[in-house]
Amino acid sequence: MSDVTEAPEGTSPDVEAGRVVDLPQGDLAYRMSHAPANLLPGELRAHPDPYQYVVVAVVLAVITAIEIAVSYMEGDIPDAVIVVLLLVMMAVKFFLVASWFMHLRTDRPVFRRLFIMGAIAAPLLYLVVLATLHGVLAGS
Amino acid sequence: MATVEQSHGELEAGAAGELVPGAGDHTLVQPDETHTGVANAKLGMWLFLASDCLFFGAFIATFLLYRDRAGQTGPTPSDVFNIPFTSVTSFVLLMSSLTMVLALAAIQRGDHRRFRVWVMATALFGATFIGGQIFEFTEFTRKGLNIDTNLFGSSFYVLTGLHGAHVTVGIIWLLSLWGLSMQNRLTQGDAERVEVAGLYWHFVDVVWIVIFTVIYLLPK
Repeated sequence: MSDVTEAPEGTSPDVEAGRVVDLPQGDLAYRMSHAPANLLPGELRAHPDPYQYVVVAVVLAVITAIEIAVSYMEGDIPDAVIVVLLLVMMAVKFFLVASWFMHLRTDRPVFRRLFIMGAIAAPLLYLVVLATLHGVLAGS
Repeated sequence: MATVEQSHGELEAGAAGELVPGAGDHTLVQPDETHTGVANAKLGMWLFLASDCLFFGAFIATFLLYRDRAGQTGPTPSDVFNIPFTSVTSFVLLMSSLTMVLALAAIQRGDHRRFRVWVMATALFGATFIGGQIFEFTEFTRKGLNIDTNLFGSSFYVLTGLHGAHVTVGIIWLLSLWGLSMQNRLTQGDAERVEVAGLYWHFVDVVWIVIFTVIYLLPK
Protein backbone atom coordinates (compact mmCIF):
# COMPACT_ATOMS: atom_id res chain seq x y z
CA MET A 1 0.00 0.00 0.00
CA SER A 2 1.44 3.32 -1.07
CA ASP A 3 2.00 6.07 1.48
CA VAL A 4 1.67 8.74 -1.22
CA THR A 5 -1.83 10.14 -1.53
CA GLU A 6 -3.61 13.09 -3.07
CA ALA A 7 -2.90 16.13 -0.91
CA PRO A 8 -6.06 17.85 0.34
CA GLU A 9 -6.02 21.65 0.52
CA GLY A 10 -5.17 23.35 3.80
CA THR A 11 -3.30 20.45 5.32
CA SER A 12 0.18 20.26 6.78
CA PRO A 13 3.27 20.77 4.59
CA ASP A 14 4.07 17.06 4.52
CA VAL A 15 0.62 16.23 3.25
CA GLU A 16 0.75 19.04 0.71
CA ALA A 17 4.00 17.61 -0.59
CA GLY A 18 2.08 14.44 -1.40
CA ARG A 19 3.25 12.36 1.56
CA VAL A 20 1.08 11.36 4.45
CA VAL A 21 3.42 10.97 7.39
CA ASP A 22 2.39 8.12 9.63
CA LEU A 23 3.41 9.49 13.01
CA PRO A 24 1.56 9.02 16.28
CA GLN A 25 -1.04 11.78 16.55
CA GLY A 26 -0.56 12.10 20.30
CA ASP A 27 3.09 12.99 19.92
CA LEU A 28 3.53 16.54 21.25
CA ALA A 29 6.54 17.34 19.06
CA TYR A 30 4.64 16.25 15.96
CA ARG A 31 1.68 18.40 16.89
CA MET A 32 3.88 21.41 17.63
CA SER A 33 5.67 21.19 14.29
CA HIS A 34 2.45 20.73 12.33
CA ALA A 35 0.28 23.68 13.28
CA PRO A 36 -3.13 23.57 11.59
CA ALA A 37 -3.02 25.46 8.33
CA ASN A 38 -6.80 25.84 8.00
CA LEU A 39 -7.63 29.44 8.83
CA LEU A 40 -10.48 30.59 11.04
CA PRO A 41 -12.77 33.39 9.85
CA GLY A 42 -10.96 36.74 10.05
CA GLU A 43 -7.43 35.31 10.01
CA LEU A 44 -4.80 36.32 7.48
CA ARG A 45 -2.21 33.83 8.70
CA ALA A 46 -2.37 30.72 10.84
CA HIS A 47 -2.21 31.12 14.62
CA PRO A 48 1.12 30.53 16.37
CA ASP A 49 1.84 26.96 17.43
CA PRO A 50 1.76 25.82 21.09
CA TYR A 51 5.55 26.06 21.42
CA GLN A 52 5.45 29.77 20.49
CA TYR A 53 2.65 30.32 23.02
CA VAL A 54 4.79 28.77 25.76
CA VAL A 55 7.77 30.97 24.81
CA VAL A 56 5.59 34.10 25.00
CA ALA A 57 4.26 32.99 28.41
CA VAL A 58 7.81 32.50 29.71
CA VAL A 59 8.75 36.00 28.50
CA LEU A 60 5.65 37.40 30.23
CA ALA A 61 6.57 35.62 33.48
CA VAL A 62 10.14 36.96 33.35
CA ILE A 63 8.95 40.53 32.72
CA THR A 64 6.51 40.23 35.64
CA ALA A 65 9.35 39.08 37.91
CA ILE A 66 11.48 42.05 36.80
CA GLU A 67 8.53 44.40 37.39
CA ILE A 68 8.15 43.21 40.97
CA ALA A 69 11.91 43.46 41.59
CA VAL A 70 11.94 47.03 40.23
CA SER A 71 9.01 48.00 42.46
CA TYR A 72 11.11 46.99 45.51
CA MET A 73 13.89 49.38 44.47
CA GLU A 74 11.91 52.37 45.71
CA GLY A 75 14.41 54.61 47.51
CA ASP A 76 17.42 53.06 45.78
CA ILE A 77 16.76 54.59 42.39
CA PRO A 78 14.76 57.73 41.53
CA ASP A 79 10.98 57.28 41.47
CA ALA A 80 10.83 58.73 37.96
CA VAL A 81 13.06 55.91 36.69
CA ILE A 82 10.91 53.31 38.44
CA VAL A 83 7.74 54.79 36.93
CA VAL A 84 9.21 54.78 33.40
CA LEU A 85 10.55 51.21 33.75
CA LEU A 86 7.26 49.87 35.11
CA LEU A 87 5.16 51.60 32.44
CA VAL A 88 7.43 50.34 29.64
CA MET A 89 7.27 46.75 30.97
CA MET A 90 3.49 47.04 31.37
CA ALA A 91 3.20 48.19 27.74
CA VAL A 92 5.40 45.31 26.54
CA LYS A 93 3.26 42.76 28.41
CA PHE A 94 0.07 44.35 27.06
CA PHE A 95 1.48 44.23 23.53
CA LEU A 96 2.61 40.59 23.85
CA VAL A 97 -0.78 39.34 25.09
CA ALA A 98 -2.74 41.38 22.52
CA SER A 99 -0.59 40.47 19.54
CA TRP A 100 0.19 36.79 20.30
CA PHE A 101 -2.58 35.47 22.54
CA MET A 102 -5.35 37.63 21.04
CA HIS A 103 -3.90 37.00 17.57
CA LEU A 104 -3.86 40.63 16.46
CA ARG A 105 -0.65 39.95 14.52
CA THR A 106 -2.27 37.23 12.43
CA ASP A 107 -5.87 38.47 12.15
CA ARG A 108 -7.30 41.01 9.75
CA PRO A 109 -6.29 44.62 10.48
CA VAL A 110 -9.86 45.69 11.22
CA PHE A 111 -9.67 44.00 14.65
CA ARG A 112 -6.36 45.68 15.42
CA ARG A 113 -7.73 49.07 14.45
CA LEU A 114 -10.80 48.63 16.65
CA PHE A 115 -8.74 47.64 19.67
CA ILE A 116 -6.13 50.34 19.15
CA MET A 117 -8.93 52.88 18.88
CA GLY A 118 -10.20 51.86 22.32
CA ALA A 119 -6.77 51.32 23.88
CA ILE A 120 -5.43 54.69 22.70
CA ALA A 121 -8.65 56.67 23.11
CA ALA A 122 -9.15 55.59 26.73
CA PRO A 123 -5.86 56.89 28.18
CA LEU A 124 -5.98 60.03 26.03
CA LEU A 125 -9.52 60.84 27.07
CA TYR A 126 -8.87 60.22 30.74
CA LEU A 127 -5.57 62.07 30.75
CA VAL A 128 -7.52 65.12 29.68
CA VAL A 129 -10.16 64.46 32.36
CA LEU A 130 -7.48 63.83 35.01
CA ALA A 131 -5.60 66.99 34.10
CA THR A 132 -8.79 69.03 34.20
CA LEU A 133 -10.24 67.57 37.40
CA HIS A 134 -6.91 67.51 39.21
CA GLY A 135 -6.68 71.24 38.69
CA VAL A 136 -10.29 71.78 39.78
CA LEU A 137 -9.99 69.55 42.86
CA ALA A 138 -6.62 70.98 43.85
CA GLY A 139 -8.07 74.46 43.69
CA SER A 140 -11.15 73.58 45.74
CA MET B 1 -32.70 43.12 -9.99
CA ALA B 2 -29.83 40.73 -9.95
CA THR B 3 -28.10 42.98 -7.46
CA VAL B 4 -31.14 42.98 -5.18
CA GLU B 5 -31.34 39.20 -5.23
CA GLN B 6 -27.64 38.98 -4.54
CA SER B 7 -28.03 41.32 -1.59
CA HIS B 8 -30.90 39.21 -0.29
CA GLY B 9 -28.73 36.15 -0.50
CA GLU B 10 -26.03 37.85 1.53
CA LEU B 11 -28.56 39.03 4.08
CA GLU B 12 -29.92 35.53 4.55
CA ALA B 13 -26.43 34.16 4.97
CA GLY B 14 -25.61 36.88 7.48
CA ALA B 15 -28.89 36.52 9.34
CA ALA B 16 -28.29 32.80 9.69
CA GLY B 17 -25.61 33.64 12.22
CA GLU B 18 -22.13 32.25 12.44
CA LEU B 19 -23.17 28.66 12.83
CA VAL B 20 -25.58 26.79 10.61
CA PRO B 21 -26.93 23.53 12.03
CA GLY B 22 -25.99 20.72 9.73
CA ALA B 23 -26.59 17.01 9.86
CA GLY B 24 -25.71 16.46 13.47
CA ASP B 25 -22.85 18.94 13.29
CA HIS B 26 -22.15 22.67 12.95
CA THR B 27 -20.84 24.28 9.81
CA LEU B 28 -19.08 27.64 9.93
CA VAL B 29 -20.46 30.37 7.71
CA GLN B 30 -17.50 31.68 5.75
CA PRO B 31 -16.55 35.28 6.59
CA ASP B 32 -16.94 36.24 2.94
CA GLU B 33 -20.66 35.62 3.38
CA THR B 34 -20.94 38.42 5.93
CA HIS B 35 -21.23 42.07 4.92
CA THR B 36 -17.96 42.99 6.61
CA GLY B 37 -15.97 40.02 5.33
CA VAL B 38 -15.12 38.99 8.89
CA ALA B 39 -17.02 36.79 11.32
CA ASN B 40 -19.80 38.70 13.07
CA ALA B 41 -19.22 37.19 16.52
CA LYS B 42 -15.52 38.05 16.48
CA LEU B 43 -16.16 41.56 15.19
CA GLY B 44 -18.81 42.05 17.86
CA MET B 45 -16.44 40.88 20.59
CA TRP B 46 -13.70 43.26 19.43
CA LEU B 47 -16.19 46.15 19.42
CA PHE B 48 -17.22 45.21 22.96
CA LEU B 49 -13.57 45.04 24.06
CA ALA B 50 -12.84 48.46 22.54
CA SER B 51 -15.75 49.90 24.53
CA ASP B 52 -14.62 48.02 27.66
CA CYS B 53 -11.25 49.80 27.38
CA LEU B 54 -13.11 53.06 27.98
CA PHE B 55 -15.08 51.45 30.82
CA PHE B 56 -11.99 50.35 32.73
CA GLY B 57 -10.12 53.49 31.73
CA ALA B 58 -12.76 55.53 33.55
CA PHE B 59 -12.33 53.59 36.80
CA ILE B 60 -8.52 53.56 36.62
CA ALA B 61 -8.56 57.33 36.06
CA THR B 62 -10.95 57.74 39.00
CA PHE B 63 -8.63 55.70 41.22
CA LEU B 64 -5.60 57.77 40.21
CA LEU B 65 -7.54 60.95 40.83
CA TYR B 66 -8.79 60.01 44.28
CA ARG B 67 -5.96 57.83 45.64
CA ASP B 68 -3.84 60.64 47.01
CA ARG B 69 -6.52 63.19 47.80
CA ALA B 70 -5.58 65.14 50.88
CA GLY B 71 -7.60 64.89 54.06
CA GLN B 72 -8.47 61.21 53.79
CA THR B 73 -8.81 59.24 56.99
CA GLY B 74 -8.23 55.51 57.33
CA PRO B 75 -5.70 53.19 55.69
CA THR B 76 -3.69 54.24 52.65
CA PRO B 77 -2.41 51.96 49.84
CA SER B 78 0.95 51.42 51.56
CA ASP B 79 -0.87 50.34 54.74
CA VAL B 80 -2.87 47.56 53.13
CA PHE B 81 -1.21 46.33 49.92
CA ASN B 82 0.50 42.94 50.11
CA ILE B 83 2.63 42.99 46.94
CA PRO B 84 4.05 39.43 47.21
CA PHE B 85 0.56 37.94 47.55
CA THR B 86 -0.93 40.02 44.70
CA SER B 87 2.10 39.14 42.54
CA VAL B 88 1.28 35.44 42.89
CA THR B 89 -2.38 35.92 41.93
CA SER B 90 -1.32 38.14 39.01
CA PHE B 91 1.05 35.41 37.83
CA VAL B 92 -1.77 32.86 38.04
CA LEU B 93 -4.03 35.04 35.87
CA LEU B 94 -1.20 35.59 33.40
CA MET B 95 -0.66 31.84 33.06
CA SER B 96 -4.38 31.32 32.54
CA SER B 97 -3.96 33.16 29.23
CA LEU B 98 -1.44 30.51 28.20
CA THR B 99 -3.81 27.65 29.03
CA MET B 100 -6.58 29.49 27.15
CA VAL B 101 -4.60 29.67 23.89
CA LEU B 102 -3.55 26.04 24.34
CA ALA B 103 -7.26 25.15 24.64
CA LEU B 104 -7.97 27.02 21.41
CA ALA B 105 -5.07 25.31 19.64
CA ALA B 106 -6.40 21.94 20.84
CA ILE B 107 -9.97 22.47 19.57
CA GLN B 108 -8.61 23.78 16.26
CA ARG B 109 -6.86 20.49 15.64
CA GLY B 110 -9.83 18.48 16.95
CA ASP B 111 -8.10 17.28 20.12
CA HIS B 112 -11.11 17.38 22.44
CA ARG B 113 -9.43 15.67 25.38
CA ARG B 114 -6.69 18.30 25.60
CA PHE B 115 -9.22 21.06 24.98
CA ARG B 116 -11.17 19.98 28.06
CA VAL B 117 -8.00 19.80 30.15
CA TRP B 118 -6.79 23.26 29.13
CA VAL B 119 -10.14 25.00 29.34
CA MET B 120 -10.74 23.54 32.81
CA ALA B 121 -7.22 24.60 33.84
CA THR B 122 -8.03 28.13 32.66
CA ALA B 123 -11.25 28.19 34.68
CA LEU B 124 -9.41 26.88 37.76
CA PHE B 125 -6.68 29.52 37.40
CA GLY B 126 -9.42 32.14 37.14
CA ALA B 127 -11.13 30.74 40.24
CA THR B 128 -7.78 30.84 42.09
CA PHE B 129 -7.42 34.50 41.15
CA ILE B 130 -10.93 35.26 42.41
CA GLY B 131 -10.20 33.35 45.62
CA GLY B 132 -7.10 35.49 46.08
CA GLN B 133 -9.12 38.63 45.51
CA ILE B 134 -11.70 37.59 48.12
CA PHE B 135 -8.88 36.88 50.59
CA GLU B 136 -7.31 40.27 49.80
CA PHE B 137 -10.61 42.11 50.30
CA THR B 138 -11.14 40.30 53.61
CA GLU B 139 -7.67 41.29 54.81
CA PHE B 140 -8.21 44.91 53.79
CA THR B 141 -11.52 44.98 55.66
CA ARG B 142 -9.75 43.62 58.77
CA LYS B 143 -7.23 46.45 58.45
CA GLY B 144 -10.08 48.95 58.47
CA LEU B 145 -10.44 49.67 54.75
CA ASN B 146 -14.06 49.38 53.64
CA ILE B 147 -15.74 50.69 50.51
CA ASP B 148 -17.01 53.73 52.45
CA THR B 149 -13.88 54.38 54.55
CA ASN B 150 -12.29 56.92 52.21
CA LEU B 151 -11.93 57.84 48.52
CA PHE B 152 -9.04 55.38 48.09
CA GLY B 153 -11.20 52.54 49.44
CA SER B 154 -14.20 53.43 47.28
CA SER B 155 -12.25 53.74 44.03
CA PHE B 156 -10.11 50.65 44.79
CA TYR B 157 -12.99 48.30 45.63
CA VAL B 158 -15.10 49.48 42.67
CA LEU B 159 -12.24 49.08 40.16
CA THR B 160 -10.92 45.72 41.33
CA GLY B 161 -14.43 44.46 42.12
CA LEU B 162 -15.59 45.19 38.56
CA HIS B 163 -12.54 43.41 37.22
CA GLY B 164 -13.32 40.45 39.47
CA ALA B 165 -16.89 40.44 38.11
CA HIS B 166 -15.47 40.26 34.58
CA VAL B 167 -13.26 37.32 35.59
CA THR B 168 -16.26 35.56 37.17
CA VAL B 169 -18.28 35.94 33.95
CA GLY B 170 -15.29 34.52 32.06
CA ILE B 171 -15.11 31.50 34.38
CA ILE B 172 -18.83 30.78 33.83
CA TRP B 173 -18.32 31.10 30.07
CA LEU B 174 -15.35 28.70 30.10
CA LEU B 175 -17.20 26.17 32.24
CA SER B 176 -20.14 26.27 29.82
CA LEU B 177 -17.73 25.51 26.94
CA TRP B 178 -16.27 22.65 28.96
CA GLY B 179 -19.80 21.34 29.63
CA LEU B 180 -20.71 21.53 25.93
CA SER B 181 -17.53 19.67 25.06
CA MET B 182 -18.30 16.96 27.63
CA GLN B 183 -21.67 16.47 25.95
CA ASN B 184 -19.94 16.31 22.53
CA ARG B 185 -21.80 19.45 21.47
CA LEU B 186 -18.63 21.40 20.70
CA THR B 187 -16.95 20.35 17.49
CA GLN B 188 -13.75 21.31 15.72
CA GLY B 189 -15.89 23.61 13.54
CA ASP B 190 -16.87 25.55 16.68
CA ALA B 191 -13.30 26.77 17.25
CA GLU B 192 -14.44 30.31 16.56
CA ARG B 193 -16.76 30.17 19.61
CA VAL B 194 -13.78 29.20 21.74
CA GLU B 195 -11.70 31.97 20.18
CA VAL B 196 -14.34 34.60 21.01
CA ALA B 197 -14.42 33.39 24.64
CA GLY B 198 -10.61 33.47 24.59
CA LEU B 199 -10.57 37.08 23.39
CA TYR B 200 -12.70 38.04 26.38
CA TRP B 201 -10.45 36.10 28.74
CA HIS B 202 -7.23 37.65 27.38
CA PHE B 203 -8.77 41.10 27.64
CA VAL B 204 -9.48 40.50 31.31
CA ASP B 205 -5.81 39.54 31.62
CA VAL B 206 -4.48 42.66 29.86
CA VAL B 207 -6.72 44.86 32.03
CA TRP B 208 -5.16 43.23 35.10
CA ILE B 209 -1.68 43.84 33.66
CA VAL B 210 -2.52 47.55 33.69
CA ILE B 211 -4.24 47.48 37.10
CA PHE B 212 -1.40 45.54 38.73
CA THR B 213 1.23 47.99 37.53
CA VAL B 214 -0.70 51.25 37.95
CA ILE B 215 -2.52 50.47 41.20
CA TYR B 216 -0.11 48.19 43.06
CA LEU B 217 3.44 48.72 41.78
CA LEU B 218 3.88 52.37 40.87
CA PRO B 219 5.51 54.41 43.65
CA LYS B 220 3.01 56.28 45.80
